Amino acid sequence: MGNSFAMLMDGFQTAFTPTNLMFGLLGTFLGTLVGVLPGIGPALAIGLLLPITLTVNPTSALIMFAAIYYGAMYGGSTTSILLNTPGESGSVITALEGNKMAKAGRAGAALATAAIGSFVAGTIATLFLAFGAPTLAEFALTIQPAGYLSLIILAFATVGTLLGSSRIRGLVALSVGLVIGLVGADLQSGALRLTFGNLNAIDGIETVTVIVAIFALGEALYLASRHSLVPVEVLTMKGKAWMTKEDFRRSWKPWLRGTAIGFPLGVIPAGGSEVPTFLSYGVEKALSKNKDEFGKGAIEGVAGPEAANNANAAGVLVPMLALGLPTSATAAVVLVAFQSFNIQPGPMLFQTSPEIVWGLIASLFIGNALLLVLNLPLIRFWILLLKIPTHYLYAGITTFALLGAYALNNSTFDLQVALAVGFIGYLFRRFGVPITPLIIGVILGPLAELYFKRALQISQGDWHILIDGSFPKVIYSILILVIIGPLVWNFKKKFAVNKK
Amino acid sequence: MEIPQGSSIVSPQTFPYMVALFTSLVGLALILEVLRGRYATPDGNEPGDPFVPANFKTMAILAAAIGLHVILLEIAGYVVAATLCFWGVAFAFGSRKYLKDLGISLAFAGIVYFSFTKGLNINLPSGFFEGVLGK
Repeated sequence: MGNSFAMLMDGFQTAFTPTNLMFGLLGTFLGTLVGVLPGIGPALAIGLLLPITLTVNPTSALIMFAAIYYGAMYGGSTTSILLNTPGESGSVITALEGNKMAKAGRAGAALATAAIGSFVAGTIATLFLAFGAPTLAEFALTIQPAGYLSLIILAFATVGTLLGSSRIRGLVALSVGLVIGLVGADLQSGALRLTFGNLNAIDGIETVTVIVAIFALGEALYLASRHSLVPVEVLTMKGKAWMTKEDFRRSWKPWLRGTAIGFPLGVIPAGGSEVPTFLSYGVEKALSKNKDEFGKGAIEGVAGPEAANNANAAGVLVPMLALGLPTSATAAVVLVAFQSFNIQPGPMLFQTSPEIVWGLIASLFIGNALLLVLNLPLIRFWILLLKIPTHYLYAGITTFALLGAYALNNSTFDLQVALAVGFIGYLFRRFGVPITPLIIGVILGPLAELYFKRALQISQGDWHILIDGSFPKVIYSILILVIIGPLVWNFKKKFAVNKK
Repeated sequence: MEIPQGSSIVSPQTFPYMVALFTSLVGLALILEVLRGRYATPDGNEPGDPFVPANFKTMAILAAAIGLHVILLEIAGYVVAATLCFWGVAFAFGSRKYLKDLGISLAFAGIVYFSFTKGLNINLPSGFFEGVLGK
């Protein structure tokens, strides 16, 4: 604990150098800019901006990413409130109440409670991250490969079955991701798998290409196919983005409750920001004295879920940094950002690269504060961005996504992959298949294989090692409870209904 | 697949077979689900929304714009490829102000090209502007 505090102070020292501060500032600006653009969530925002950091030193680049990460979330809530087009699942709820508030002329209060709530939740949750992640990393050093494998399988199961409306479609998305992750030379033996004789495929499929293509190109193709080009109504904001005393009184408890719900659900692999924001909304609705306002623009319904969303984003960084396990699409992109500098997040990270990881955590605090200071006064500037016509917006997103796919390796093969993955993204959207499980599959699939092999090497090929020891047993028990439990329960319910 | 000699305890085929098994199982489950009439709703639709047939024409224009970018990038250079791609996507999304779009496309491609090559030192193909734009 005391050690963490000292390290965090060192981190602030790293983050406060003029260069790094400048990159932090640039990151908050770019993050908000891209996050405000309709249809771009934080995962795509970071994916699109990844090439920008190719030539920057790792510490500055990761500080910039931390700023982009929070900035994109801030920007996303602005779009949800004023445009009713949430860029990611976490802001769906914000759009629900926030857009109603904006329609009733209370856009300023909605934006303010979202921004201040995000700041409060982000700061508290980052504190928990700073002290929780090293502890978790220390514990994680004792986890055996079989234990890691069980954690990954748990993440697969939760992300695959909790997202979207259909479990089977989530698992289908996961399996497509796993197959994409297999392409290329096997790390240990060098055997070529699924390359079909293509020399470019030996190094595997770039994760960033997959992410950028499935979000940007997939979305563009889908929107084009639906030719739903009715211009969306941008709501105007009267007055300043600020709240009255009454708004404050109604907001502070939802902020804290949202934080309490969002952070823990980010740490455990509960499948992204969908669950905590929905939960927070439900809690606020149940506790509110103004229940009749819900659905018509209740400020609690913006304050709680926005706080939960931001706290969740910080929570997701805990397993990402301490275990190397991303459980949301956004965390997955941050992990890729680390990997592009040959830094592997995981238990060793806090020992091998303390200056980077603590600089990153410190800059999360700084970025969060900068966002609040910058965004409330600049809100009118961001609103201007919402008026970009759809055709230019998607032209820009598509062209920039292709640039991102190309600039990574300067290879047209990556562009061909991007086009193909874009079509998969189109099909997924058309047939209601969730996208995040695919990304988790691409990233965690190769890791799962690695731990699987290591475990079997330790046991000399005895498969019992996979369920040996208390840690894997605990994890698999949780898995059975979480996945099989609801199935049995549903079945019983159906059975009861049929009997009647 | 060629398996190199002296592979370790776990063959490089083991895990892919497990993935293949999993993929087949969930694939079968999906087929069964669809046969039983349980369709999912397309992204952005609510259950019960009227079915909107896809407009494959606009989609094809968009895909062509992307494809053109892929083909032209290393032959004609970034500025040409990106300008045409930007213009094509705007066209696919219903814009019909050809000249204004061309101007905006060119400006977008030019700004991106210069900020990446000069500002960030990331190389992009210059194509036949090589002499003019310098490198």
